[in-house]
Amino acid sequence: MLHFLFDRTKENRYLAVGTVLLAAIAALSLLLGQYPIDFHTFMAYLNYKIYGIADIEIDTLALIDNIILEIRLPRILLAILVGAALATSGAVFQAMFVNPLVSPGILGVLAGASFGAACGMLISEQWFIVQALAFSFGFVAVGFAVLIGSAGANSRSTVMLVLGGVISGSLFTSLLSVVKYVADPYSVLPAITYWLMGSLSIAQLDEILLVSIPILFSILGMSFMGKYFDLLSLGDEEAKSLGINVKLIRIVAIILATLASSLSVVMAGIIGWVGLIIPHIIRMAIGPSNRLLVPLSAIFGGAFLLLADAVSRLALSVEIPIGILTSLIGIPIFIMVLKNAREAWN
Amino acid sequence: MELKPIIEVKDLHFSYKKSQILCGVDLHLFKGEVVSLLGPNGCGKSTLIKLILKLLYGKGEILLHEKSIEEYSHKEIASHIAYIPQYHHVPFGYSVLEMVLMGRVSKLGIFASPSSHDHFIALEALKKAGILGLKDRIFGQLSGGQKQLVLFARAIAQEVDTFIMDEPVNGLDYGNQMRLLEFIDELSREGYTFLKTTHYPDHALLISSRTVVMNGGKIISDGKPGEVITAPMIQDVYGVNAEIITHDAHKRCIPIFR
Repeated sequence: MLHFLFDRTKENRYLAVGTVLLAAIAALSLLLGQYPIDFHTFMAYLNYKIYGIADIEIDTLALIDNIILEIRLPRILLAILVGAALATSGAVFQAMFVNPLVSPGILGVLAGASFGAACGMLISEQWFIVQALAFSFGFVAVGFAVLIGSAGANSRSTVMLVLGGVISGSLFTSLLSVVKYVADPYSVLPAITYWLMGSLSIAQLDEILLVSIPILFSILGMSFMGKYFDLLSLGDEEAKSLGINVKLIRIVAIILATLASSLSVVMAGIIGWVGLIIPHIIRMAIGPSNRLLVPLSAIFGGAFLLLADAVSRLALSVEIPIGILTSLIGIPIFIMVLKNAREAWN
Repeated sequence: MELKPIIEVKDLHFSYKKSQILCGVDLHLFKGEVVSLLGPNGCGKSTLIKLILKLLYGKGEILLHEKSIEEYSHKEIASHIAYIPQYHHVPFGYSVLEMVLMGRVSKLGIFASPSSHDHFIALEALKKAGILGLKDRIFGQLSGGQKQLVLFARAIAQEVDTFIMDEPVNGLDYGNQMRLLEFIDELSREGYTFLKTTHYPDHALLISSRTVVMNGGKIISDGKPGEVITAPMIQDVYGVNAEIITHDAHKRCIPIFR
């Protein structure tokens, strides 16, 4: 009798609206930039690509083809992928440790992954080795943070875990400095430095497609685990008594979240704040239920980074590294939402 | 026909950091019973409950429907027993309905979300607990009594017939304590089985069909509440002088100061 009051339509509606919004921002980003493409020209380009009919000059079409396929599309895909990976991992780490103050950045994952990736760049040209090392050290970093965080008597202390993350993050930042110190100052060092500032522009389309498989796999996996994450906030014993395998869920979730955030570091350097702010804003808007929070974090994390990237491309004639920009945009937003966010998690 | 117990505990031992918490506990729980576990702080009541729920591992045998608890996953245990903890702080502002829906998770497939059927069950459970009106409120903002009722509703939504409770009335005011006991009594009449720990001999006298007294990690008596709860037992276990009086054919435990 009461069925009609709530089925999943509300949840699906949020997801649909988010996806449409993301697609709209992506489409807009495709047209905007140093060389704006108007709608009419874009339609002519599509016409040319699909039917081979050239309505406008062939030189213009070739230029647009180059801009879209070589520059804008890879960037847009990467921005969405990286933003989604960071925000989803942030939401999952927060659920996992029942701690609204953690994110891949705060737990030291990004620092660990960047150390691993830098080591990889030092010893090998192989993309796979860089990724594998980034993930391994991202995992070591979060493990180290948890170890320090649980050293005290109270293993679920919010502050201790954050402190553990700060320590772990500093450790790997120092180790990274060592790598930089020994790196070739004419070739490897500048590469590492610019990459670390965060950039969406270096990646090629085929690299992106390759890395998108494990990232999408983790995001999707985490999105389906939302109902289990909700139980974890009740404490381990109660979660077990409600019928879930707490240890397995913790391990799987930490692996997926670390994988997604470490790979984002390999592709785009250290991009802070997305993993902390986006889950907070979503939680404020729709409540704490992870069933919806995790997938919506993916969508809006992608949208946020896409917007930030658009600003970075359009605002000034010189491109601001995206990692710096997300901090510059993220910090004021976080300060603004902090008061409400506190209410939402208490 | 001999009745088979739902839960059977045989010669259970448990120690933590070299100190013996349980030494040779035997217990059984039959369908329809309301069993109160009585005993002083640290006597091993809560440990016993956690062992039955497989939240701790001890030495000895625990059978659930005649099968060792070792053979059950937590998911399977959750389809037989609902655990109602003391109300507590829950981080993040989950709504009451969301809290109750958490009781349905063990019934869902890996990729499934709660369906409209699950929502329906959760609402029926809230209705049964008399708190349907609270469904959209934030759990953390409720009073202690309301929170405890939400945890009851969650257990009902689990669709099991056995409830295990750890100090269900702890921290509640007198009125809420009595209303909760009445609610337990009501549910037991519908056929639910209860195993609960309690600090109050009076509560055991009020609603239990059997009372088990523990002290120092052992069960020292097990029987009808009126027979088990006696002045010497209260003196022995709690070191309190008490008088057991009969009022309206019901026994009551009255503490006496000297």
